[in-house]
Amino acid sequence: MRDTRRARLILGLLLTAALVILTVDHRAGDGSPLGPLRGIGASVFGTAQQVGSSVTRPIGSFFSALVDAPSAQERIKRLEAENARLRSGLATAALDKSRSAELQRMLGLAGTGGYTVLPATVIARRGHPGFEDAIEIDAGTADGVRPDMTVLNGDGLVGRVVAASGSTATVVLLSDPASSAGARVEGGNELGVVSGVGNSGRLVRFRLLDSTAPLARGLRLVSFGSEKGTPYVPGVPIGVIEQVEATPGELTRSAYARPYANLSALDVVGVVVRAPTRQPRDAVLPPAAKESR
Amino acid sequence: MIAALALVAALLVQMTLVNRLHLPAGGVPDLVLLTVIGLASTRGPVAGAVMGFCAGLLADLMPPAAHLVGQYAFVYALIGFLAGRGVGGPVTTVVLCVVLAPVLAAAVGGLIGDSRVTMATLTEMVPVTMVYTLILAPVVVWTISWSGRGRLAT
Repeated sequence: MRDTRRARLILGLLLTAALVILTVDHRAGDGSPLGPLRGIGASVFGTAQQVGSSVTRPIGSFFSALVDAPSAQERIKRLEAENARLRSGLATAALDKSRSAELQRMLGLAGTGGYTVLPATVIARRGHPGFEDAIEIDAGTADGVRPDMTVLNGDGLVGRVVAASGSTATVVLLSDPASSAGARVEGGNELGVVSGVGNSGRLVRFRLLDSTAPLARGLRLVSFGSEKGTPYVPGVPIGVIEQVEATPGELTRSAYARPYANLSALDVVGVVVRAPTRQPRDAVLPPAAKESR
Repeated sequence: MIAALALVAALLVQMTLVNRLHLPAGGVPDLVLLTVIGLASTRGPVAGAVMGFCAGLLADLMPPAAHLVGQYAFVYALIGFLAGRGVGGPVTTVVLCVVLAPVLAAAVGGLIGDSRVTMATLTEMVPVTMVYTLILAPVVVWTISWSGRGRLAT
């Protein structure tokens, strides 16, 4: 075999080098000497990924179309029905102008919650083999994105920015097992912590700090927010509780919640560049009727 | 040169395309690992280890990254060496490398106290990744080692 002493020596050297780099990066934390190297990697590969993404996006959508094909037929039917219903709804809405204006005002007040959002597109993703869940977006410091900003999409909380280079930024998703976000149960002041459990973001774990507080299936969670709105701004819908775990004898109660945002198929997201001046509390939550399936 | 280009291309495709597919059971194949195995199998253990180390370092530096630099450099260097050296037949080598890589990554992560490496990830996510990678393995490894042989012959 070609397995010589020299080969083993070189392998040993490389493995030692890797371990040394790993240890330096681990011990130094945020002030790591590898930080600048990461920055260079981010700007070089970020640009390459932006170009690559525009090429591979159609291929990606083709494959997802193949995977989703069985359910697509059913979805077309459902959408057609919904379309008909919406069209009739639109006709009635056009008649009632004053009501429409009122609705608009209410939506303006409650719907947005007062966040200033910068839209961005997902250009790359890391998720194999389930140890970390992070995405790369095509907005960076040039657009005003800074680390520890909240990222959301039309449905709810997505994650937070951990690093930003000139034109791209790295976002750690809610489903990353190492991330945790403060959360509040709707309508009350019961607080807890939401953390990821991997599994592509289908469920996240919610730990309620007060073990005597009521916790039931169907309750909805909003972000609790942190000091100065970093890393999470208050009032963003997180998800709805799917199952409650029985944890007798423990100080906290835990439950699994389904996130509003589909974390496995993200495309357009928004970075909250300015937090609301006033706590929106539960105002941004979607209508409860939809969640009672 | 060709090897470097193939590795960078594999990394870009992995990050921008493969990781964003949502396949059933929620896993994706590891294209970079297969490229390292394919390249190393035609170029021997020394070149394999060096290429694996470089590919791993690039994978560690390429955004989005939320883990420590060096983790995949370690894993891919060892895999490159093993694939270059050969363990039994070519099929055994590829299967062993594909099975070993995520376990090694988990072990290195566990060694530095990464809270994301748990028993649940090892039993739920890692097998899915392995199966997808093994399904893709014959195509990728054969293509790369075939092009490598063609280059050496001419």
